[in-house]
Amino acid sequence: MRMLLPLLSALLLMPACEREVPEIDPPAPTLRRLTTAQYSNAVHDLFGEEVVVPRQLEPDVNLEGFFSIGAAVTSISPRGVEQYEEAAFAIAEQITAPGAFDFDCEPAGSADRACAQEILEGFARRAWSRPVTADEGDVLAGLATDAAEVLGDFHEGLQYGIAAILQSPKFLYRDELGEPADGGHRFTAFEVATRLSFLFWNTIPDDELLAAAESGALLTDEGVAEQADRLLADPRSRAGLRAFLSELFDLHRLDSLSKDPTVFVHMSDEVGPSAKEETLLGFEHLVFVEDDDFRNILTTQRTFLNRKLAAIYNVPAPTRDGFGETVLPTTDMRRGLLGQVSVLALQSHPINNSPTLRGKFIRNVLLCHTIPPPPADVDTSIPEPSGEAPTLRDRVQEHLQDPTCAGCHQITDPIGLAMEHFDALGRYREQDNGHAIDPSGDLDGEEFAGFEELATVLHDHEDVPDCFSRQVFRYATGHRRAVGENDALKVLAEDFEAGNYSVQQLMLDLSWNPVFRKTAAVDDSPAEER
Amino acid sequence: MVTRRTILRGLLGGSVVTVGLPALELFLNANGTAWADGTLLPARFGLFFWGNGNTPDKWVPELSGEGDAWQLSEQLSGLASIKQHLAVATGLEAKVPNAIPHGSGAAGILSAAPALVEGDGDTFAQPSIDQVIAAQLGGETRFRSLEFGVKSGGGRSFNGPHSQNPSEDSPFAMFERVFGAGFAAPGEEPIFDPTIGLRRSVLDAVMDDTNRLKSRVGTTDKTRLEQHLDGIRDLERRLARLEEDPPDLAACVRPDSPPAKFEDIEGRPQMSAISRAHCDIVAMALACDQTRIFSHWFHHPVGNVLFPGAPDGHHNLTHDEPGDQPWVDAITRMCLDEYRYLVETLAGVAEGDGTLLDSCAVLGTTEISLGRTHSLDNMPILVAGSACGRLKTDVHYHSPTAESSTKVLLSIIRAMGMNRAEHGTDDARVTDGLSAIEV
Repeated sequence: MRMLLPLLSALLLMPACEREVPEIDPPAPTLRRLTTAQYSNAVHDLFGEEVVVPRQLEPDVNLEGFFSIGAAVTSISPRGVEQYEEAAFAIAEQITAPGAFDFDCEPAGSADRACAQEILEGFARRAWSRPVTADEGDVLAGLATDAAEVLGDFHEGLQYGIAAILQSPKFLYRDELGEPADGGHRFTAFEVATRLSFLFWNTIPDDELLAAAESGALLTDEGVAEQADRLLADPRSRAGLRAFLSELFDLHRLDSLSKDPTVFVHMSDEVGPSAKEETLLGFEHLVFVEDDDFRNILTTQRTFLNRKLAAIYNVPAPTRDGFGETVLPTTDMRRGLLGQVSVLALQSHPINNSPTLRGKFIRNVLLCHTIPPPPADVDTSIPEPSGEAPTLRDRVQEHLQDPTCAGCHQITDPIGLAMEHFDALGRYREQDNGHAIDPSGDLDGEEFAGFEELATVLHDHEDVPDCFSRQVFRYATGHRRAVGENDALKVLAEDFEAGNYSVQQLMLDLSWNPVFRKTAAVDDSPAEER
Repeated sequence: MVTRRTILRGLLGGSVVTVGLPALELFLNANGTAWADGTLLPARFGLFFWGNGNTPDKWVPELSGEGDAWQLSEQLSGLASIKQHLAVATGLEAKVPNAIPHGSGAAGILSAAPALVEGDGDTFAQPSIDQVIAAQLGGETRFRSLEFGVKSGGGRSFNGPHSQNPSEDSPFAMFERVFGAGFAAPGEEPIFDPTIGLRRSVLDAVMDDTNRLKSRVGTTDKTRLEQHLDGIRDLERRLARLEEDPPDLAACVRPDSPPAKFEDIEGRPQMSAISRAHCDIVAMALACDQTRIFSHWFHHPVGNVLFPGAPDGHHNLTHDEPGDQPWVDAITRMCLDEYRYLVETLAGVAEGDGTLLDSCAVLGTTEISLGRTHSLDNMPILVAGSACGRLKTDVHYHSPTAESSTKVLLSIIRAMGMNRAEHGTDDARVTDGLSAIEV
């Protein structure tokens, strides 16, 4: 059993090696394809921020809420192979343009093999996140030199070596396959390095992290803790948090938000991306500026708005250009994450509200409650507004009388109906279809009078932080759900509570947790024998 | 005479690349009814898929029969100009458990197998019909198959579980892919490009890397990497094709490039214009024998597209529009208009004694029938073109016994010249095609 450590201070004083490690029975490791964001970040890390990374890449697949889970399951399509090839050459061309990049050596001629090899081995080490063997360097140099001979130019030839690095499965997949150790299996030092850098920065390791892997430091608790602290303190950790939140809240869908502009006069192409930025800025502020209790994201009235969003929220714009911090008036019922356009508009139809989608978001994403899919072969329509049932609440109530539907809709709709004062774009509205809105209800017996109280009920709900730590785990590992890892997850949730729900502490705790560092052997049994 | 190929060999020292010979079968005989070696023209398969079903009451034609014996129904009335090319099958059922609304139906109608349900998501357990055909016939052409769409949501072209061929929603990107750099139209000399051989050398190295990785991973990952390797081999073949002489196909011309972007109009995507731009491109991709298999994902299951004039997203309307759902009807007809455009476009390209359409079977379908209940009986199924005279046209067949929709797939598979005793799994498995549409 793990020692009980109720206080964060006690935790911090205790050397990591003295913490009792929960036993886990982790699943076999699988390859994880880089997401499009990770591909792009990695290319920028390798070659510089100014490189334009083609956007046409194998698309991310959202599986059970995360691209990172989809990336652990899906394969690369023929079209994807084509796109990665095109992207690799587009990138290689940019960095070999005259003066674009400061290479490790100056070629003595168009076919200077040694120079090509030196340059390419440097790139490959970073791109593949591990030392490059002599054979690997040889192949890359051969490709570049052969091409340089045909094309009569060293740098044009170099493109073929770079393109080989970027198209290699050693770059496109994270091959964290583990190694035997102490009678079990663990991730290798270099694999721990990639796990750390993708968790904290959503990109490949930097040189210092690779050096820590090479020295073996990342096989020790102290070495991991030291690097985790460094990664977290680096400004790039904000990109890591953003990547997680974008997947968790499906924020990428805001880039193509569809709302009827004839119904919503505020609607424009700017709204979706602005709403995404608001949510990310708010979280970033809470986590990195205040290092506050994460649950306050649900109740805070502080937010970050540009002019577009300020108009939708009907408050003065805090700044003329870009985003500015603002605190909504206390008379405003808008609270926290659930009061933001990102959630309200995404969890709605193009014109109409959907208490079901909104309730489902709270259940699935914030509480980790599972809702079965609706049964097929039943009439799912709700009645039209009528004299007796003018509002969406009335119409849904009628719908809820059908026992086939009520089983699930009772789980989602009552909490979704608490958000009825916000329309499908997220604007405040006094009435629905000319009638007063009743936002009251209960969450599993906990009553609330309206949206503000729902936010508070959720803030105090014990499942919310447990769910958040579980979501971080799922995102970081690509595992759909914990199977042999439940004890470790329980510890992670306890650590989160002990750390006063600090997300920074949660990320550090995860990097210490065995789910992050242990694995099982590769499972090469035939599929039918499992 | 020094040929292009000897130049290439000389440049690369004769060892780096091997260059394919021109495919003789690409040349048509004098009257264009067969390839030069006497074999019949290849059959081609197309899929036009829209989301969210139809309105069965308005869809099913009153009478079964051929020619004048049957007339189009109310919902199908927009297809009058292609009636003579059309087989309509009604009353067929997708015989899969309806476990996931829309997802089960899509897997049932397209892969003839139950969906693989995983958590709150689903994928196909078996390849979709386009890939069943591509696996056997796709190797002949530069592109094994082409996937494109308008609001495709990635489409539903699957090679197997979690192995998808993502759909390209931009006609411009589609054009660039097929007719951009490297493509040579008939009469044009292929541009001599030494980089093609170099790119293939890179792919060889990538393939070696992938094989080495494959030896270290588990069973599931081996399958994933095998799919990746398939893609690499595909790309190598495409590069080899670029080095060949252009096909001598009378109907083949390089189409015009579509606009780079189609702006939304009043918040509504230009569904029709985008779809038509794709259809113009794919017709020439067939005529130039760049592919023989395509799938057009007009919009996706559960797609909540705002159609022009519509008071809500399509999916939402199927559930919430009251009465006999005039908007759902109108949107279904808009989808069918684009199916008609595709068929008319193929029928407008002369090939041999007939048109491109004559060699095609263009399946038009969606994942459910009545959207409101996610119904899988009475599935909407259209087939245009006779697949080189192997399928009947101008026919409506209504199944009196709710036969399996897989029968249509098996008829099409066989019409493609594939010798198959059966198709589908579990309750969706059949051993007979739909004889009413077979010649």
